[in-house]
Amino acid sequence: MRHIIRQISDKAFTILTGTSVVLLTFVLLIVLGPMVWRGVKAVIFKDTVEFRKMQLDLYNRGNSANLKLENAETETFRKTVYKIVDDFKHGIDTEALVDKSKQIYRQLGKELRYKGITNEEYQRIRSLARELRDRLQVALESNDKKVIKENIDYILQYHLDENLADTSAVEFFALAEDFQQSVENIDLNKRQQYAGSLQQIEEIVFHLLGPKPGDPLPALTMDRYGATRWDLAQKLLDKLLWSEKWIQQEVDQPLVKIRASRAEEFAGTKLEPLFGYIENNLVKMLKPELTVYWQYFIDDSTPGHYFGGVGPEILGTLLLTLLAMLFVSPLGVISAAYLVECASDNIAVRIIRMSINTLAGVPSIVFGLFGLAFFVLFFIPLFGGPSKPCILAASLTLAVLTLPVMIKASEEAIRSVPQSYKEASLGLGASGFRTFIRVTFPVALPGILTGVILSLSRVAGETAPILFTGAVALGPLPKSPFDPTMTLSYGSYDIAVGDRLAMMVPHNQYGMVVTLVLLILCLNAIAIVLRARISRKLRGQ
Amino acid sequence: MDNIVQNNKLKSTAGRDQPLILTPLQDMRGFLFHHLGRLLLFLITCSSMLLVLLIFFFVIREAIPFLTKFSLAEFLATQSWYPEAQPPKFGALSLIVGSLYVTISALVFAVPTGILAAIFLSDIVSLKVRDFIKPVIEILAAIPSVAYGFFAMLVLAPWMQTKWGFTTGANVLNASIILSIMVLPTIISVAEDSISAVGRELREASYALGATRFETIFKVAIPAAHSGIIAAIVLGMMRAIGETMVVWMASGNANQIPSPWWDLSQSVRTMTATIAGDMGETPKGSPHYWSLFAIGVVLLIMTFLLNIISEYFLASAKKKAGGY
Repeated sequence: MRHIIRQISDKAFTILTGTSVVLLTFVLLIVLGPMVWRGVKAVIFKDTVEFRKMQLDLYNRGNSANLKLENAETETFRKTVYKIVDDFKHGIDTEALVDKSKQIYRQLGKELRYKGITNEEYQRIRSLARELRDRLQVALESNDKKVIKENIDYILQYHLDENLADTSAVEFFALAEDFQQSVENIDLNKRQQYAGSLQQIEEIVFHLLGPKPGDPLPALTMDRYGATRWDLAQKLLDKLLWSEKWIQQEVDQPLVKIRASRAEEFAGTKLEPLFGYIENNLVKMLKPELTVYWQYFIDDSTPGHYFGGVGPEILGTLLLTLLAMLFVSPLGVISAAYLVECASDNIAVRIIRMSINTLAGVPSIVFGLFGLAFFVLFFIPLFGGPSKPCILAASLTLAVLTLPVMIKASEEAIRSVPQSYKEASLGLGASGFRTFIRVTFPVALPGILTGVILSLSRVAGETAPILFTGAVALGPLPKSPFDPTMTLSYGSYDIAVGDRLAMMVPHNQYGMVVTLVLLILCLNAIAIVLRARISRKLRGQ
Repeated sequence: MDNIVQNNKLKSTAGRDQPLILTPLQDMRGFLFHHLGRLLLFLITCSSMLLVLLIFFFVIREAIPFLTKFSLAEFLATQSWYPEAQPPKFGALSLIVGSLYVTISALVFAVPTGILAAIFLSDIVSLKVRDFIKPVIEILAAIPSVAYGFFAMLVLAPWMQTKWGFTTGANVLNASIILSIMVLPTIISVAEDSISAVGRELREASYALGATRFETIFKVAIPAAHSGIIAAIVLGMMRAIGETMVVWMASGNANQIPSPWWDLSQSVRTMTATIAGDMGETPKGSPHYWSLFAIGVVLLIMTFLLNIISEYFLASAKKKAGGY
């Protein structure tokens, strides 16, 4: 019996330890999977004609003749949409109509003044026009079909009035007739509700198709184009077809989301065909095509992170990391060489080793504080530089942070050089220094390089140390080492937290962070391959 | 032609016919060169020591004005952190507690998983399978903290809110799950090293006495490697307490001590997140600015102590491994 229990516990334990490793792999997949899946969409996606317009305008990319043809094709389908909305609006958007009638009245007054008629006549026509305007306003604002009919009929009986012919007053009648027609099809009690809904619909159509042809170009770049991506267009289409409402069904219960079809909401009105039309013709209106937008990695982003790519961020990251490696590599290799080749186990060396470990344990945010207090406020101004966050300060801070990693990697590489090599060199009469330069260092170089690459990948992902020493979320490209720069790491933070524009374009959010992760994983992969090769070589010899 | 050969012969033999004795001057020069070179290398190597001193000096220098103007007791023992109020209040207790709270709950997840995984790698699985698992851990270690923070904020937090019914996705549980993933590689690699450093003879003796693998690991390998495992946990704790981006993005940044204490679904604010979040908005030379450096000093001291503890345990692990 006891034997069985022991056997079972042994097996169970084996399974338990295996599970923990499976869990690790699972966690890795969970973390990387969704991010990479969504991030890849920043580069490979179905674009629309709006995207091609944007590329041509902002980056001067693409074929303008082809685009014009495409534009003309899509316009023919888009016209219908605008027409349906405009027609429906007549019966609904009464405020605009009231404004228009007031405008007509004012216009009429101006006209009469220059017509050369007697004062009496002027007063008479004018009071008539005022009456027409007021009646029209009553009709427009009323919810009662009877009142509307009464007033419109009253207005229309002056249709053939000689005094009013050839003046702006003709527009009154056109307006009144238009309105009479459009009123026939709608439930007037729902007008308020329709007006609110219509506003939403117009907004969605604006985001979907871009500004209406003929309208003035919006001031914001992001408003100048409709849905640039097919997935975005589908999302907007869904919003267009279904309205979402939060409704409290029971007291003291959380609100429940209800999806209601807009086509049903507008059933029986002139707007009803719009939904079916857009759903069926969206492809023709936007012309989606699968693209690989590789320029994502070199394009500047504009405005915010709404359009474009991560070019400046990649550049900034490379600048920072390479500069940091430039500072730290010689220091790290020399320190490692001393620790391996020259140092005996005395108190000074022990203190140095201890301080390297301490340095490795300092929290990254404290490095940020140190960079701010030392490099930004003290060290760079000491040599006449500007006392502000800049690339130089950030890369120096990162260099300090990565020094222990560099020393440990180089130490390992130098230590792994076989003793026999060194002894052969020393036996030939070379000095210790010469042996290191001519024999040990070349053999250890691939290992040291691995260390450099690993430190590089560590530095590229660090965010906290550069928060106060040289990273900005958005800004111009750096012109000198004394300018701050955008980086992938800080950009990933900012785009996830601070950037409201970016919330609307999740593919760009994920694209940024996936670029960072892939960059780092690539560096790591290179390091792993290099290391495997070295160990094979050293084993073979 | 002959002349050239003769010359070459002369050149190649030049010096060989002389005795191998250096002149005093050459001897002195060689001696000086050797020792001055070593001194120079030593000085360069000292730079890391110098950097540690500089870090302590400059962070403490900026914190001193705070310590002279405000009381240290209030800083460490009260909870109200209103640095911009009039008069400002600097009670960092809830921040310190928040840091420890997140760290310890992360360790609760990470330590069992990490030690089990370390045992799996060192004792159970073959070398070939190990070569497949190692890269997984290396990738987990390589993913930058801001990417973990991004995941916590945009993937995990919405899941928590919509699928698991939390009131807010940015809470202690979220932060500590992600932190535990980040700490795992450290714990696994250090613990695995120390468990595999336990001599083969010990294990074989145990097997020879009829113990199962489970008993061997639990009664022989782990007790023998305990100081290395403790060092692994301490190093993991050091990593977790100093982590900034993840806790800043995932912990919710609410300045409070959770009550009841076991409620992981509440938001907290940590020391690192406070520094990162507030530094951008404080003018240099204000009490708020100094107070952030004072928090930095607290962090620095904490990690320094943890570092000394881990060094002690690592050294004793090394001594034991050498003894067998």
